[in-house]
Amino acid sequence: MGNDNPKHERDSARALPQADAARRTTGAGTPPMFADALQKTAAAFNRLFDAPPLILTMLSFTLFVIVWWFFSTYLVNPKLIPSPALVASTGWDMLIHRNLLKDIGASMMRVGVGLALGTVCGVVVGLLIGRSRAAAALVDPVVQVMRNLSPTAMIPIALVWFGIGEEAKFFLIFWGAFFIIAVNTTAGVHSTPRTRIRGAQCLGASELRIFVSIMLPSALPYIVAGVRLGVASAFMTIIPAEILAAQEGLGALLQQASLNGQIDRMFVALAIVAVLGYSTDRAVRYLAEHTFKRYTAYLSEL
Amino acid sequence: MDVPRQRATRQGSVALTQEVDRLKAGVSADVIIELKDVEKVFGGLNSRYVALQGCSLKVKRGEFICLLGPSGCGKSTLLNLIAGFERPTGGEITFDGEPLVGASSKRVMCFQDSMQALLPWTTVAGNISFALSVRHVPRAEWKARIDECLDIVGLSASVGRFPTELSGGMRQRLQIARALAANPEVLLMDEPFGALDAMTRTQMQLELLRVWERTNKTVVFITHDIEEALLLGDRVCIMNKGPRSRIVAEYPVEGPRPRQLLEDRRIAELAGRIRTTFATFETADQGRPGV
Repeated sequence: MGNDNPKHERDSARALPQADAARRTTGAGTPPMFADALQKTAAAFNRLFDAPPLILTMLSFTLFVIVWWFFSTYLVNPKLIPSPALVASTGWDMLIHRNLLKDIGASMMRVGVGLALGTVCGVVVGLLIGRSRAAAALVDPVVQVMRNLSPTAMIPIALVWFGIGEEAKFFLIFWGAFFIIAVNTTAGVHSTPRTRIRGAQCLGASELRIFVSIMLPSALPYIVAGVRLGVASAFMTIIPAEILAAQEGLGALLQQASLNGQIDRMFVALAIVAVLGYSTDRAVRYLAEHTFKRYTAYLSEL
Repeated sequence: MDVPRQRATRQGSVALTQEVDRLKAGVSADVIIELKDVEKVFGGLNSRYVALQGCSLKVKRGEFICLLGPSGCGKSTLLNLIAGFERPTGGEITFDGEPLVGASSKRVMCFQDSMQALLPWTTVAGNISFALSVRHVPRAEWKARIDECLDIVGLSASVGRFPTELSGGMRQRLQIARALAANPEVLLMDEPFGALDAMTRTQMQLELLRVWERTNKTVVFITHDIEEALLLGDRVCIMNKGPRSRIVAEYPVEGPRPRQLLEDRRIAELAGRIRTTFATFETADQGRPGV
């Protein structure tokens, strides 16, 4: 051991635990070459996770596809789980020849409108309940009870009230987003540090000034969090809503494929929904972080 | 808020009106804040806590007064009453001869938690601009006022920085600068250096003395640190531990500043007396007779 060259010594110093483990498992009589190779492999394996996040993400998905392919080809009936290759080619075919973009557009439009309505109303009501004791006493109890009605629970009544047109979907998305955003907004207003409010009071600020310049900015991170949760709720709501009553859209696609026994098209629809939900969330986060950077950045530095 | 007629008159006649009012009220122009037998009770029917009782104090214009006491002795409660954030449940508080009602820019408070008190989403200049905007100072004057206030506290180099980029001491300086921007008559300081490390604290204490000497404000300073109180104050008022806290003793502190606490015999004696007084609080608290 005393004859090791400097580089080798450095490597072994860094990978000491593995080297010891290698020596222990391989036994005292193992040729030094083996223990050495084992230790080098272990070190290389660990270094793998220092790679940039993008590479690791791609690695994760590649692994997932491999496992999926293995299941579909060797373990499960391909009528239950189609192979990744089939899903990909069906998806491509739907994109080019079968108006997949139209379905995606329809779903996204409904989500967009419902979210916009839900955000505006949710923020207004949330601010009202947070700021005014009268509003809190009168409105909050009703909100707290009603928010237990999930959008899915409201699907039947929405169909009765609005029929099977677009309004029903707007209403359902709005319903889900509204309560989530209202509750988060109220929490945001309440989270304003009393010290900050008092600091502004003793400078002579009016109640309105305190609300606009102190409470609103302090509540903003909570409002953003609420909107992100609203997006998640919207994606979970649109699918059952479209399954039940829609001609176009991803949920409708899912339902039609199910009725026709087209498992590959179902998988395409599910994959699109998953990726779309993730992308929208990332987009909202990016937008929020950049537009409201000064109102959220300081939190991580506290 | 404050007397409505002040809004209409110009600065000079405002001061004159105040002087006349004071003389009419028979109040010494010397005393800016007076507490008479103030009582503060928290809680309702079942959980009543009498924080302050029989609390009396006279704060003279331009003086630096320290309120000294152990934790839980109601110092912050007292300061909140003086600021106007809370109302006393008994007794009366007057400011400049007038009964004190609500917060006012004449009594600006600097808090211990500077990060919470300041606006973290805007720069140093932005924080001071907030104070100027609230005071309805014309925009054209802002730059000059900001430069002036930052110069007084020594933060001129950090104009464009955000509070998260500043150290604790610098944030406290920013708080003081913001307070000065509102041009108050009284600075209320709630253990402002409590969260700072010892070396920064010493530095800030001297800074505060410089600011006070340069701006001639009245300062009401809260602390639980005997040395700090003796270093800074013209007068030190001792409060006993709650409930039913009040000001039990007042000691004028003699000696020119900066004070050498270890070398000046009178101050060392005073420190000893104050420590003895604190010790009696401890034993009284534990229910044993004083040793």
